[in-house]
Amino acid sequence: MKPIRIALTKGRLEKDTVALFQKLGFDCEQLINKGRKLILEVPDANLEVVLAKAADVITYVEHGACDMGVVGKDTIMEYGGSFFEVLDLGFGRCRFALAAKKGNDFYGGYAVRTIASKYPNVTRSYFEAKGMDVDIVKIEGSVELAPLLSLADAIVDIVETGTTLKENGLEVIEEVAPISARLIVNTAAIKLRKTEIEDLTAKMELAVRNAE
Amino acid sequence: MNRNKWITPEGTRDLLFEECEARRTVERILSKVFSGRGFTEVVTPGLEFLDLYDLKAGSMPVERMYKLTDSKGRLIVMRPDSTIPIARLVSTRLKGCQLPVRLFYNQSVFTSNPGLKGRSDEIVQTGIEIIGSDSRRADLEVMTTAVEALGACNVSDFRLEIGHIGLFHSLISSLRLGAEEQEEIRLLIEGKNYPALNDYLDEICANGGDRKTVEVLKQLPRLFGGEEVFDKAANLFDDAKTEYILSYLRSIYHDLAALGMKEKISVDLGIVNRNDYYTGVVFRGYIEGFGETVLSGGRYDTLLSEFGADLPATGFGVNVDAVARSLLKSSGTAARVPDVLVFGADGYEMKALLHAKELIDSGLVAEYCVLNTAEKAKEYAAAKQIPRVDIVGEETESFSGKERP
Repeated sequence: MKPIRIALTKGRLEKDTVALFQKLGFDCEQLINKGRKLILEVPDANLEVVLAKAADVITYVEHGACDMGVVGKDTIMEYGGSFFEVLDLGFGRCRFALAAKKGNDFYGGYAVRTIASKYPNVTRSYFEAKGMDVDIVKIEGSVELAPLLSLADAIVDIVETGTTLKENGLEVIEEVAPISARLIVNTAAIKLRKTEIEDLTAKMELAVRNAE
Repeated sequence: MNRNKWITPEGTRDLLFEECEARRTVERILSKVFSGRGFTEVVTPGLEFLDLYDLKAGSMPVERMYKLTDSKGRLIVMRPDSTIPIARLVSTRLKGCQLPVRLFYNQSVFTSNPGLKGRSDEIVQTGIEIIGSDSRRADLEVMTTAVEALGACNVSDFRLEIGHIGLFHSLISSLRLGAEEQEEIRLLIEGKNYPALNDYLDEICANGGDRKTVEVLKQLPRLFGGEEVFDKAANLFDDAKTEYILSYLRSIYHDLAALGMKEKISVDLGIVNRNDYYTGVVFRGYIEGFGETVLSGGRYDTLLSEFGADLPATGFGVNVDAVARSLLKSSGTAARVPDVLVFGADGYEMKALLHAKELIDSGLVAEYCVLNTAEKAKEYAAAKQIPRVDIVGEETESFSGKERP
């Protein structure tokens, strides 16, 4: 039988997923000693694992190049796409937050605000929902710099502990959205390979529940 | 600046040889299936007024349409869908004709997709519509045709999945929500986003939504698979309307299965299409190894009333390009090479043309060589791997195309 192909977001989500697979008793030998290979096998679970960057996981799953994928909610919110989002995996937890220089009254006055972010789409839909016009500047690297250099009034970024913000004199104004890793499935694959996919999803769900 | 003259706009492409042949093959097969069942073809304009697509039932997202203006400054769109123009056509040009009307179409539709996603902005769709019948027989006919259409294309394996939009409509209307909340729930069900759907519905429940309805909505996207789905659903739904819908769908499923299609048919009660003109049975087709829906359709009983004709209708459309691509992937049809290259020596051009015609009439593919010498003709045949070259002079001599001069 053709293996189920699953794309994992390289890095921390990959490690957490491998740990989850190990909990399920899968043979993760290849996943742990992977060398430079990008396609790996989990022979006893009939799985083929692909390692990719976050946004690419969505692309592969959307087009059916991979049947399933593990990707952060942050990436899903920023890039969108059509696929089924079947399970909250519980790990990779953090949040999107709006942050500004400590002591600044972000909502005071009538001037149009400039917001710096690595996530322009998330930022746009957040302020759209508030009915607020803002200028958005896309920043690729450390977004915290933008308000410090007076390029922006505030930032929308992923916050885990808040240490980086604190060390740079910034503070969270409000939470935008919680984030965690999600299991996504291609819309055709879930129909054509229902039993195998549901089986794996159910196993993963059980392991996630037990971990909580 | 015309640096764009070398390329085609994003989302469009040239089709060469085998790709083109694959598309035409699918078009031919499907046209034959449709016309064989008594559907007649119509063509609607590639350009329509934007107003046509601004409907109460099933308006399309304006930002996804290609728009231009006509000479009077009115907004025009490049046809984003074929069913709506056909509804217009039936309620105007075919007013008063014998019902039901059975039509098929085979034409391009255009959508403006976000860039760099690898999606086509121009897709050839072919499909059927039965307009003026609300009978169970019409539903059966349309779905049987859908299975037969996919089967006739010789794709590796396919599945037709059936559902009923009425289940979602009746649940959601009993919750008395605003349009935005309804759309949010629809999106979550369509995306089978179980965790977010549960959270969202729990919140609605906390705000006074009926607990039982909410629990059934939570299950809706999970209700897909084989016949067992009906048994699971039977325990969840208990009002007369939804029970009727379920038993209707089950009987359709049984009839399709009885036609020897059992392994091709599955059920998904969580189909809640974006095209909100659907009012009854809905269905989708999938091809093994292809990540997207290749066929979609269903019953749309209120669309025609937008054009003043209160006619129930049902139909479906097939993404011809998707079927062609999966056909190419599985069979890899090679482009055709002529069987014979015919060359006429100086003074024998007309004789060679007649010779070529004889070969063509006998059923071969014969190309009349337009190069000026026999040597060049042979080189050309060798390069194009044409197996046979006929040199026509006083006598006609045949050479194997592989012989280099």
